[in-house]
Amino acid sequence: MSTEYIVAHSDELQPGQRKVIKVRGIEIGLFRIGDEYHALPNICTHQFGPLCAGKVGPAIMADENSNWGPEFRYDGEVVCCPWHGLEFHVPTGQCLAFPETRLRKYTVKVEGDEVKIVL
Amino acid sequence: MATRTKRLTLNDTLVVDVDVHAHDTPEALTPYIDAEWRPVLEKFRDVPRRYLDLGGYSAYNSIQGAKLPGVSLPSPRGNSRIEIVYTAEQMRRELDDFSIDVGIIFPDHHLRIAGLPNANYAKALSRAYHHWLKEEWFHEDNDLYGVIIAIPQDVEEAVREIERWGNDERFVGVFLPTCEMYPLWGHRKFDPIYEAAQRYDLPVFLHAVAGMSSGFPYNLEAFTTAISTHTIAHSFAMMAHMLSMMETGVPVRYPDLRICFCEAGLTWVPFLRMRVDKEFNENRYQWPHFNDRPSKWIKKFYFATQPVEEPENKQDLVDIIRIYDGDDTTVFASDWPHHDFDHPRAVFDLPVSEVSKRKIMGANALKLMPRIKIPVKYQDVYKQGETL
Repeated sequence: MSTEYIVAHSDELQPGQRKVIKVRGIEIGLFRIGDEYHALPNICTHQFGPLCAGKVGPAIMADENSNWGPEFRYDGEVVCCPWHGLEFHVPTGQCLAFPETRLRKYTVKVEGDEVKIVL
Repeated sequence: MATRTKRLTLNDTLVVDVDVHAHDTPEALTPYIDAEWRPVLEKFRDVPRRYLDLGGYSAYNSIQGAKLPGVSLPSPRGNSRIEIVYTAEQMRRELDDFSIDVGIIFPDHHLRIAGLPNANYAKALSRAYHHWLKEEWFHEDNDLYGVIIAIPQDVEEAVREIERWGNDERFVGVFLPTCEMYPLWGHRKFDPIYEAAQRYDLPVFLHAVAGMSSGFPYNLEAFTTAISTHTIAHSFAMMAHMLSMMETGVPVRYPDLRICFCEAGLTWVPFLRMRVDKEFNENRYQWPHFNDRPSKWIKKFYFATQPVEEPENKQDLVDIIRIYDGDDTTVFASDWPHHDFDHPRAVFDLPVSEVSKRKIMGANALKLMPRIKIPVKYQDVYKQGETL
């Protein structure tokens, strides 16, 4: 049975901010991107570093559309592990380096003034 | 009733980390350097600096190209982790967090000391470094040890420093810098260093660092991104130095000398072993000091794990270790606190037997450096002078 946990109030995180919380012994990164919240496990798939404490910014990408030159995309949506730099797209949990690696995402609900995580 | 055997965990495994780094700033070494060189170090107070960019404290090689704006894109990681350890207390605390029991300290800036053109300066810096380690890093029971820098610029001085510290229980090896080195470490002029190391029962550690000098490995300066350089620079340097030592017969002429290769990962080792054996069919006469396949001598070398390769299938790396017979010669290294450090779990979690885990994480290092004092917690499990 899932339980809802209040983890923040709606004015606590501004767009672009995040915080790391502990719920039922599990460390979780709560990110606010625009008006949406996302929650990811605070553990990197590489060597288990504290992923969600890393820098949040854009990803450098290159493809035919950029004529194979580097281009910033997903600004404010990518977290980079502070240990070795593995990058993850926060809204999807997708790892940018390895297509087969995708983090689980926790359900986040905003009800009134309360931001809740469902576990 | 059958008792259930407890599974081995990192916390109950002796972890000897053969490669951690102390931040050897000019300010830190100033009190320990000869008076005539002190003003040189004091001048560095006014020099703006970035991560490890005072290589050897030399104006000639201080800027690593790959770190300059415009050469490579800035890392998205930014400065989210401080990759520097300033004190013994900080080192002890941070190694404790990773369940690392014993740490062997290498320098930061002086990884590149071989690039200094002025031998007198290199001499003064290495002397100061050793005094600094002794005074500020080796505290009672902190399980931190160091290595003696052998400066290639002045072999007699390198030997003097080995003799000065060779009986100190906290110096457990001799560091042979491999970056910007000319000639390579097999050159006969370095024989006195090997003779001294063997005489004091100290292993030698070849430690790589990314460099792009005009000597070997050539052409690396043509890469346009740091990832290309960093993928092979260390391994190429190790291959070059190992071949150089093989061609002058260092492991034959110094049979009791233990030799360890650091900071180049593991996957290059089977490649080189197989290549030299293949060449030996046709060209044995060029290496007449070997009376069997050269790989028999490479088998005796030690290899530090970091930066450990992390294949999708972990078994692949286990197979690599098997191919070079590395169960007794592979030693864990984290390279803490550098940007590409490995957490002990990256090696401990390999699918090998518990005996092999204990060997690679600590017991092999005790064999490599027998003067390491086994921490109290493990004295019942690991006996001084015995191997698993």
